Amino acid sequence: MNPLPEFPAEEARYRALQELDPRAAGALEVLVTGLHDESWRVRHVAAEALKRLPSSREVAERLIRVLGERGETGARNAAAEALAGLGGAALGPLVTLLGHPDPDQRKFAADILGQLGLRAAELPLVQALEDPDLNVRVAVSEALGRVGGEHSARALEGLLTDAESLLRLSALEGLALLRRPPPLPVVLAMLEDTRLQRSAFRVLGLVPEVVATERICQGLASPVRSVREAALGALGTQVALVEPARRGEVEAVVRAALRRLPDAAQRLVQALECEDVTVRSGALVSAAALGEASLALPVAEAAREDRLLREVLNTLGRLGPEGGRALLAHMADLSSPARAAAAEALADLVDPGSVTALCALLEWAEDDLRAVVVRALGRTRSPEAVPPLVDLLVAPSLAGAATRALGVLAGSNRTAVLEALEEAVTRRATSAAVAALARVGGAPALPALRQLARDAEPTWRAAAVEAAGEVDGAVGRELARAALADEAVQVRAAGVRAMGRLGGPEAGALLRPALHDEDASVRLAAVEAVGESGATDRASELEALVRHPDGALAVAAVRALARLGMAGPGVLMDAAAHPDAEVVKAALSAGALSAVGVELAVALLGHPRWDVRAAAARVLGDAGGPERLDVARRALEAEADALARQTLSDAVERLSRR
Amino acid sequence: MPRFDDSRPEMSLEEFRLLRDHVYSHCGILVHEDMKFVMERRLWPRLEALGLPDFGAYHRYLRYDAQRHAELEAAVEALTTHETYFFREPSQLKAFCDELLPVLEKRNSRLKRLRLWSAGCSSGEEAYTLAMLLKDSRRFDDWDVEVYGTDISRRVLSMARRAEYGASALRATSADLLERHFQPAGNNRVRVRDEVRSWVSFGHHNLLDETGSQLVPRMDVVFCRNVMIYFDQAARRRVLRIVRDRLVPGGYLLLGHSENLLNLGADFELVHLQGDLVYRRPELPGLTTTGGEGR
Ligand SMILES: C[S@@+](CC[C@H](N)C(=O)[O-])C[C@H]1O[C@@H](n2cnc3c(N)ncnc32)[C@H](O)[C@@H]1O
Repeated sequence: MNPLPEFPAEEARYRALQELDPRAAGALEVLVTGLHDESWRVRHVAAEALKRLPSSREVAERLIRVLGERGETGARNAAAEALAGLGGAALGPLVTLLGHPDPDQRKFAADILGQLGLRAAELPLVQALEDPDLNVRVAVSEALGRVGGEHSARALEGLLTDAESLLRLSALEGLALLRRPPPLPVVLAMLEDTRLQRSAFRVLGLVPEVVATERICQGLASPVRSVREAALGALGTQVALVEPARRGEVEAVVRAALRRLPDAAQRLVQALECEDVTVRSGALVSAAALGEASLALPVAEAAREDRLLREVLNTLGRLGPEGGRALLAHMADLSSPARAAAAEALADLVDPGSVTALCALLEWAEDDLRAVVVRALGRTRSPEAVPPLVDLLVAPSLAGAATRALGVLAGSNRTAVLEALEEAVTRRATSAAVAALARVGGAPALPALRQLARDAEPTWRAAAVEAAGEVDGAVGRELARAALADEAVQVRAAGVRAMGRLGGPEAGALLRPALHDEDASVRLAAVEAVGESGATDRASELEALVRHPDGALAVAAVRALARLGMAGPGVLMDAAAHPDAEVVKAALSAGALSAVGVELAVALLGHPRWDVRAAAARVLGDAGGPERLDVARRALEAEADALARQTLSDAVERLSRR
Repeated sequence: MPRFDDSRPEMSLEEFRLLRDHVYSHCGILVHEDMKFVMERRLWPRLEALGLPDFGAYHRYLRYDAQRHAELEAAVEALTTHETYFFREPSQLKAFCDELLPVLEKRNSRLKRLRLWSAGCSSGEEAYTLAMLLKDSRRFDDWDVEVYGTDISRRVLSMARRAEYGASALRATSADLLERHFQPAGNNRVRVRDEVRSWVSFGHHNLLDETGSQLVPRMDVVFCRNVMIYFDQAARRRVLRIVRDRLVPGGYLLLGHSENLLNLGADFELVHLQGDLVYRRPELPGLTTTGGEGR
């Protein structure tokens, strides 16, 4: 026998409701019966089905009758749940219910209207604040906090002086939800009332002023944990609101307050483990202000919450090199998000003494962490960092970062870096060393590069060609020219890229065969190179590629033509008709400042993709004349996507100033 | 002269959205708008590795480059949160041991075979935890037991195979469990003992990939905890269909503490244990179906 509890009858009812066709005759009554079921699962599935029924006004009225069934708590709650899911159709019946003789019903109406959150309920709710029943008034003020709007905010502010503390409390909570703090003196007065204190702190956090910070800091010193946490939460909210330039001011106040508390660090450790994210964020701000290195580990652990990453990085940065050392010593003990944050912070905290610890980290850290560590090594300014960095040139995913780090390191240790790179090239450790050598070594590296350009291995030839171009134009061109005829794809691509960067009168002619290369990656590189080198003589080939079905080639061709200043009307039209949206966007940015571009933008305001519409709006805002204002306004009215709306409304703004 | 520019490009809101949508369609992970900073930080090392100047170029790379598939994996790798530890959510594990294991022992007693799946296993802590619990129950000593751990991230899988952990992974592990199932590995770290490891194997699998899931054998229990929190409804639905398909009839699905199947659970029945709520794939028609308790 199965020892688990069995309830076949309930299961049958559950399934029956689940499979019920909501459009079938009588479905409504079956579901209403379901709302009265003894099992919450069945009630829930009935409520879910009711939300999806057609003709919802009738449904709403039927559900409201269920709300009136005294003694049927389960059914009433399920009906309320269903009503809240009905949306606009429930609005009228619920507003009517606000006038029901039974206060219980009126309270239900207010609660559900709050959950619906429709602005249209604002005025009826404001009126309902006159209700003789206190519970109803409380429910109404809570609902106003959810529904929002100017009237709600004003009505809630009015309640702050009500004789009933319960109403003052719900009004305060409502204003916190609406993010509409009442005037500061009012909030400060409410902080004196212990019943209102926590909510008052929430609202206080919405005031980005130093006076508010000062009062919050008094809360930090409270012996009561919940008050301290409320204050930290307020701080977390406040810091998100103050302009970055004024953050120092806030921190100075916090620092002064915390320094007066003997156990500040301990309290912050405790707060960093709190459930509430805003409390943790306030604790991070405080830890930054306090600058206490011993907090480094709990601060790093706060990165387990993604949303706190920015604050964690900022705080770790403020804990100084001592904090950095604490992190380094305990990397192995941290959770993986904490480790990633710590590594990032370390990149800024390092000093010459950190090399050994950073290298130890490289031993076992994950790849993306290693990229950060590599960057940090570059910043140690220590010659000891040279050998490990040169070794890392071998790892494909880290070679780029290592090359850059060596470049930074060469600022203080040029000779050491050069010697190590030359040695690496001589023993053929990795071709990435060639690029690094050229970057750091400059002209003296040229003979070695010429030599490598004749190497039997294509990898070395490719590396040499690209590197030579960085050091000396003439040598670079000579090697690139030879590379364009190389038998290896890798070398041809390198030659093409080098030629693109170096340009010159012959570049167009030399790049021509590469535009027809048998290898796709060489062709793509050639298109880009033509644009970069300014080879206008290749324009017609690029024009043909604009219609190429491969989006990558077409995008590259449009961008290249734009760089050459040759993206004329025909090109733009071709590109705008391409099935790949990236090509269309490339056309928009290519035409950005031309009359045709503006025409195109107007036409694309109705494109099915939001990103194309946003790109069109940007062009319109940049280059349209005042006569485009109307079309932009109309598009704005019709725009459903938030980001495209934002761009459009910027465009409208700019056009109306022209 | 070359510059050694040490600054980082910023990600525009538009670039953020394009990248986010691209990632979403690949693996169901939805990155919220307020996570732009996080995305920027996590993807920046990718730009660095590829030598790309900005996130627009990175988006084009993901769209068009010959290496785009590998790069998309790398991006997802960087964006997923792999936070996990041994013996996470103890009350659920207790319910699993006290109430489900006896059922499973009885059900499978003829075959003496048990298959568990830790779907979205991250660095392996969950899969090893399950194996440890099975060992400690002594119910399956001479059985054919397999715990499969799968994840979309190859990096965490290699950590899982290494089976070496530090303090953070062990923050909920009691001293006696530590003693029994781990051995010192130097550097303040420990390694899972071989007896436990021999019951666990790992593989790469995207939970949204229907075809790939055919490689997963039929399971008695699936743990899919703290994975779908990153998905939206549509992606969750898809995953649940796949998971259901991989369960034996009557097999159990255990979700994370803050997750449930409200509005999604038509294919599963809810089972109230004393200590937890779990989901179960219904038995085949004809066999007894059992449901949850009404409350
Ligand atoms: C937070 S961890 C949860 C680990 C473990 N289940 C636990 O509860 O401790 C989430 C894991 O889900 C994985 N994941 C996310 N999306 C996935 C997908 N589409 N397919 C497979 N795994 C995925 C991530 O790589 C990550 O390792």
